[in-house]
Amino acid sequence: MAAPAVRAARRWPVLALDLRNRLLRLPGLTQVRWSRYGPEYKDPQIDKEHYRKPVAELTEQEKYDLELRKTQHIKAAPATKTSSVFEDPVISKFTNMLMKGGNKVLARSLMTQTLEAVKRKQFEKYRAASAEERATIERNPYTIFHQALKNCEPVIGLVPILRGGRFYQVPVPLADRRRRFLAMKWMITECREKKHRRVLMPEKLSHELLEAFHNQGPVIKKKHEMHKMAEANRALGALGRARALCCKKQ
Amino acid sequence: MRVQIAATMLSRVTRLTSRTRQLDPGRILHTGSRAPQSVAAHLDDQAADDGPRAVSRTSEKDPARHGEQHEGLHYDIPLQDVGTLFPQSLPPRFSMQVKTFGEACLMVRKPALELLHYLKNTDFAHPAVRYVLYGEKGTGKTLSLCHVIHFCAKQDWLILHVPDAHLWVKNCRGLLPSAYDRTRLDQPAEASAWLKNFKTTNERFLSQIKVQGQYVWNKRESTERGRPLGEVVEQGLTRAKSATDAVGVVLKELKGQSRAGGFRLLVAVDGVNALWGRTTLRREDKSLVAAEELALVHNLRKMVRNDWHGGAIALTLSQTGSLFKPRKAYLPQELLGKEGFDALDPFVPILVSNYSPKEFESCVQYYLESSWLQHEKAHTEDGKKQLLFLSDANPGQLERLCAHL
Repeated sequence: MAAPAVRAARRWPVLALDLRNRLLRLPGLTQVRWSRYGPEYKDPQIDKEHYRKPVAELTEQEKYDLELRKTQHIKAAPATKTSSVFEDPVISKFTNMLMKGGNKVLARSLMTQTLEAVKRKQFEKYRAASAEERATIERNPYTIFHQALKNCEPVIGLVPILRGGRFYQVPVPLADRRRRFLAMKWMITECREKKHRRVLMPEKLSHELLEAFHNQGPVIKKKHEMHKMAEANRALGALGRARALCCKKQ
Repeated sequence: MRVQIAATMLSRVTRLTSRTRQLDPGRILHTGSRAPQSVAAHLDDQAADDGPRAVSRTSEKDPARHGEQHEGLHYDIPLQDVGTLFPQSLPPRFSMQVKTFGEACLMVRKPALELLHYLKNTDFAHPAVRYVLYGEKGTGKTLSLCHVIHFCAKQDWLILHVPDAHLWVKNCRGLLPSAYDRTRLDQPAEASAWLKNFKTTNERFLSQIKVQGQYVWNKRESTERGRPLGEVVEQGLTRAKSATDAVGVVLKELKGQSRAGGFRLLVAVDGVNALWGRTTLRREDKSLVAAEELALVHNLRKMVRNDWHGGAIALTLSQTGSLFKPRKAYLPQELLGKEGFDALDPFVPILVSNYSPKEFESCVQYYLESSWLQHEKAHTEDGKKQLLFLSDANPGQLERLCAHL
């Protein structure tokens, strides 16, 4: 309930800063996710290539931006975001979701072991395959990971909407970030719950990722079930459109 | 162009030979005869290259012909040799790599070349010299030892290889009091495993070497003088209770007969600091077992003494599997302790360090050629610089890094 209010307040112009603060400190509205940084703080530019461009090649706009940033407040870069060439935001997000109890070291090692397991399995397949099949076998664990998660993303989702004292499961189009989140969440939940206790997480995760890459497996099945449920509840589509209109008005 | 290359190579080779003359006056003929062959080999390598691309492999499969010109290059060991020489005794990550790539490629590096040079020039009339490979974690001590073992196997030496001495002092189940000496303890499982690997490696020597003493195993079984050594090994494999005693007999016989000159013996022990360290084994009455109370350790300590001739002893120190040693310890004095150092003194220490820039480049090139580095940014200069920074040119760390990239 507080979230739409906070999101709405964020869209207001900077001049209404004290108004926004007063709204957020109203009784009954607790901020659950908030930052110590005010709106005047800008995000840091972590990309090394951005700074490597020689001064002569910058456009007028870029030169102006560079000068402007010298006077602005900049937030501190998070410890997990690096300027490494090997960094991947999807992998970082997945690692964070895999993490339990703040144990990032373990989560990261599980992630690297999973990628290694995927790579080794594909290499075994490659060696056993004939010359024509070799062209079709993908050995890059990162491509497999991204494609698998993309295959698991649902197109349409169900949202519970309260009308007349009852909750109706309404099919509604999902935002990009919600789809990515659902794909990763389903993958992790599937691997955690449907795993024998003697099987290690990297082994299970690599197996599920490879199956999802080929559009098979339990996570893809879950996505299809979600689509089928949405298709079944198609009649409630009007409620979903009414909700969307209500949100836009806010 | 070819004449200029040959001229520079010859001048380099004469500088090499003049250096060896200072070190070892008696051996100049040996190295001198090798020199024109190595020049030819290098020219052949150069001829085989088309263009100035970095080369990471060499086609020279015989370790006896590896020289300074092969430094940093990978050579591959045929898989049946790997199965014979290293049955379950390769480091786990390397054996995973062999399984994935389908080939066992070792890099030719300076410490291994130095040790090969010493082995080629051993005088078998003198007592066995002990060579100790030491270095920080992940620098390549075990694989350098494997390179040396491959060389000795090609030269028809008898290989006595203990892949990890730490496995004999920790996590052992089924300790039995020894039948030979009541104060010592037997380890039937470890002894049988070692005998099985020994049999696989040295199949052809087992029928040639004849036992020189009479050994009674129990009321019904005994081995007479003059029987082949293979019978002792079979006895140890069939009767688990006599396995440790069989190992002791094998070591004693080999030590006694190596001076006769019938064969040359290489004793290769990985993690030799385990023999003089503490153990985590306890008896049934929960009293701690000291290392010398284990019969296997006792016999191996006798083997590693330099009171026999007709071979060489190559040892490796290892902190990785060691017990009660700090993680950063890598020097012989730190890992062996006073007792171990005095027992091994005098020895030839050989430091194994991280990759040089050339070796690092060659390693990354090998991974790129075999498509192991799949990340699209790994081919770029930035990617290579980052790999160098993250791994600090440590071979073990680089391998783990490249495994998931």
